[in-house]
Amino acid sequence: MLLEMRNIAKSFAAGPVLHGVDFSVAAGEIHALIGHNGAGKSTLMKTLAGNFADYSGEILIEGRLSAFHTPAEALAQGVAIIYQDFALVPDMSVAANIALGREPKGPWPGLMPHRALRERSAREAASLGIDLPMDRPIRRLGVAAQQLTEIVRACSQDVRILIMDEPTARLAPAERAHLFAVMRRMGRERGVGIIYISHFLDEVRDIADRITIMRDGRVVETKAVAHYTVDDLAHLLVGHTDIVLDQRPGRRNAKQTQSGPPVLELDHLSVSGRPGVSLTLAAGEILGLAGLVGSGRTRLARAMVGDVVSNGTLRIDGRAITRRSPQRSAAAGLVMVPEDRKISGLALAASVEANMEVTALGKILSRYGIIRRRAQRQMVERLIGSFRIHPPVREKPVGTLSGGNAQKVLLARAVAARPRVMILDQPTAGVDIGAKAELHKLILLAAEEGATVVLISDDLDEILGLADRVVVMTAGSAGPPISRADLDRAKLLSAISRVSQTNIAGVDFPR
Amino acid sequence: MPQNSTSDRKAMVSMQHSGGKSGILSVVVAGWARAGNFALLGIFVTLLLIFSLTVPHFATVANLSNVLQRNSIIGIVACGMLLMIILAGFDLSVGAVGAMSSVVAAALIVHVSMVAGIAAGLLLGLVVGLVNGFCIAKIGINAFVATLATQVLVTGFLFVGTAAQPIYGVPESFTFLGLGKIGPLPVPTLIFAIIALLVWALLRFTTFGHYIYIVGGNRTAARLAGINVDRVTIATYGIGGLLAGVAGIVLLGETTIGQPASATDWPLSAIAAVVVGGVPLSGGVGRVSGAILGTLLLGIIANALNLLGISPFWQPAVTGAVILVAVGVDAYQRRQSERR
Repeated sequence: MLLEMRNIAKSFAAGPVLHGVDFSVAAGEIHALIGHNGAGKSTLMKTLAGNFADYSGEILIEGRLSAFHTPAEALAQGVAIIYQDFALVPDMSVAANIALGREPKGPWPGLMPHRALRERSAREAASLGIDLPMDRPIRRLGVAAQQLTEIVRACSQDVRILIMDEPTARLAPAERAHLFAVMRRMGRERGVGIIYISHFLDEVRDIADRITIMRDGRVVETKAVAHYTVDDLAHLLVGHTDIVLDQRPGRRNAKQTQSGPPVLELDHLSVSGRPGVSLTLAAGEILGLAGLVGSGRTRLARAMVGDVVSNGTLRIDGRAITRRSPQRSAAAGLVMVPEDRKISGLALAASVEANMEVTALGKILSRYGIIRRRAQRQMVERLIGSFRIHPPVREKPVGTLSGGNAQKVLLARAVAARPRVMILDQPTAGVDIGAKAELHKLILLAAEEGATVVLISDDLDEILGLADRVVVMTAGSAGPPISRADLDRAKLLSAISRVSQTNIAGVDFPR
Repeated sequence: MPQNSTSDRKAMVSMQHSGGKSGILSVVVAGWARAGNFALLGIFVTLLLIFSLTVPHFATVANLSNVLQRNSIIGIVACGMLLMIILAGFDLSVGAVGAMSSVVAAALIVHVSMVAGIAAGLLLGLVVGLVNGFCIAKIGINAFVATLATQVLVTGFLFVGTAAQPIYGVPESFTFLGLGKIGPLPVPTLIFAIIALLVWALLRFTTFGHYIYIVGGNRTAARLAGINVDRVTIATYGIGGLLAGVAGIVLLGETTIGQPASATDWPLSAIAAVVVGGVPLSGGVGRVSGAILGTLLLGIIANALNLLGISPFWQPAVTGAVILVAVGVDAYQRRQSERR
């Protein structure tokens, strides 16, 4: 074996993440590593790339026990990793990026021999059958060409094991085919072992030789790809033991909910040339929007609030919102809880109060631009109380709160404006279990009080636990709504883990 | 992170244990940071006491009144600068705008009327501010570049319009605005106080004021929450320009001469006052009390050096050191609290 990892264990402050993992890669093999978020595949790969000095277990390269305590040691063993967001210098040329950190030496010390560098990089690319515009700055390249640049760079450093983290997530179909050809050629001609991490289960079946499935920090099994169908893989990923709790006890059943007058209507709403989405949601209904990262969920959500340009019609309570913008949406009662609270959700330096009041300030809490102070105070205090925000202090900068509490502030802000429609993009990402349960209750409460909710989540259990219906998105297009009653985890996972909508046709849903 | 600890302090202590190293020190520092302006007030009062005891003629009504009179103009500019800094921006054109305002006001006072002069000075300040805001919000020019450009532009126009000659002839009575006193209180200080009060009320009681904090803290979040980010930005720079115009009028009241080459030190002095007042350039936080204290702190230090007979050449160096120390302590605290 080219690479053998034996009984690898790694713990973080929060607890163990890997519990004695065995993993191996043969020379020339493409080995897919799949697992749900938090299964431990990233940690395993980071260990192999030398990111942790304190792993336990053995890593053998061609049978020899080797140290992987620093990235330099990993590199010396010929292990290279290509991350999803590349590590390239945007304003430097392709040739210079390929040679980054190992620039050729010219006759004059300290001066760069540009021609030698360019020729060497071009030679290295050609030897892999890759054609790249050597003089063009990386910035002006597409994603696929950037990725190929990374591959050439990695392969020119005597790489023996190449780790690729979701390399196809942002590629067009033709680009995928090209990438796969390059990957196969690297294996065949150079004997490079490729570890390939992907969420696209159908694609994994096309390209990999063997598949290792991880769940909860353990390897479920490793077998040749021919053993599996996509549905098998989905079942193995989610496991059989856990049962999703339907968190909607006492909730009116979905059919009843949908019978009310429509609150949110999308009529062929389309973003950046993708097929339009049409939907009708009633008051109090929760729609789950499921899909992989990059499947276009967030973009659709941003289009709905008017933050990105879109075509088609969006109606709230029967009235179309023209010239959509976040302001006009807010005025019509459509509010959003954006993903990534730190980047697009909260003003971290500003206080809990300042963040919480924003959506309600203009509409409810002021007259002629002057804030009705008592009403404002009461509302903030009430929300801090009912959302159980800790510490319950208005003036505290939001940035000092824990993730769960910061997320509660964000949800409280959305609820404060008494919205007709709430779009929640990953409302519980990165919060602890306790806070997650509280957030779920609050979301259900908001729906019970009549808000229509669109819920985007990576967490299958969250979608299944809260949503009345689910729309699956793949490669920018949305499928038809599926009733919650017709779904379980494996079915949902199987549906989202496809490269395009057409591949879903094989999934067995009562439509 | 603790979920259920009963008091704030306890939460901080246990956070400390999970992540930091030197426990007690960080708790003290965090307490300090929380106290915010109180710490600054403490330093100010301490300095005031030290100067009163050690510097001759410092603690006299005449001298303190003089300090107030001399620093009110920068104080007025700093109030506007505060708003723009909370918005995560700043304005380098306030000096040019002040000079323009005083020159234009001087010309109109001499040739037309006092009211027209004052009105034109203020209006021009507002307009340049709005232009700044427009360039930043609608076109997307970086605040540094946009306001640097308008500063140079305005200065250029000013020199062309006046042939770089000062404008004389403003009546003596106009000095009431710059040199007059009501009791021991200089009129410029009164104007500064009124403006500080208005800015305080704006930040506290109006939706616009609250929006400045959110837009400055996180533009994307503000936009997604339905705030008209562009309008808030343009209005804020408009107010900044207007207050620079006010300061220009007061300057004319001090000198009675419309001097096109004046006020060049305003932008950096005002920014210095605000940052010494504990307001980070990163935006989203800040109070009027900080801008006032920052202005007065730098003012009394300059005054004390003066009274001690130290060469005025030393003053910039001392001011620079004060900025480094004040902002350095603040930045270090923030870094420590971010690490937790």
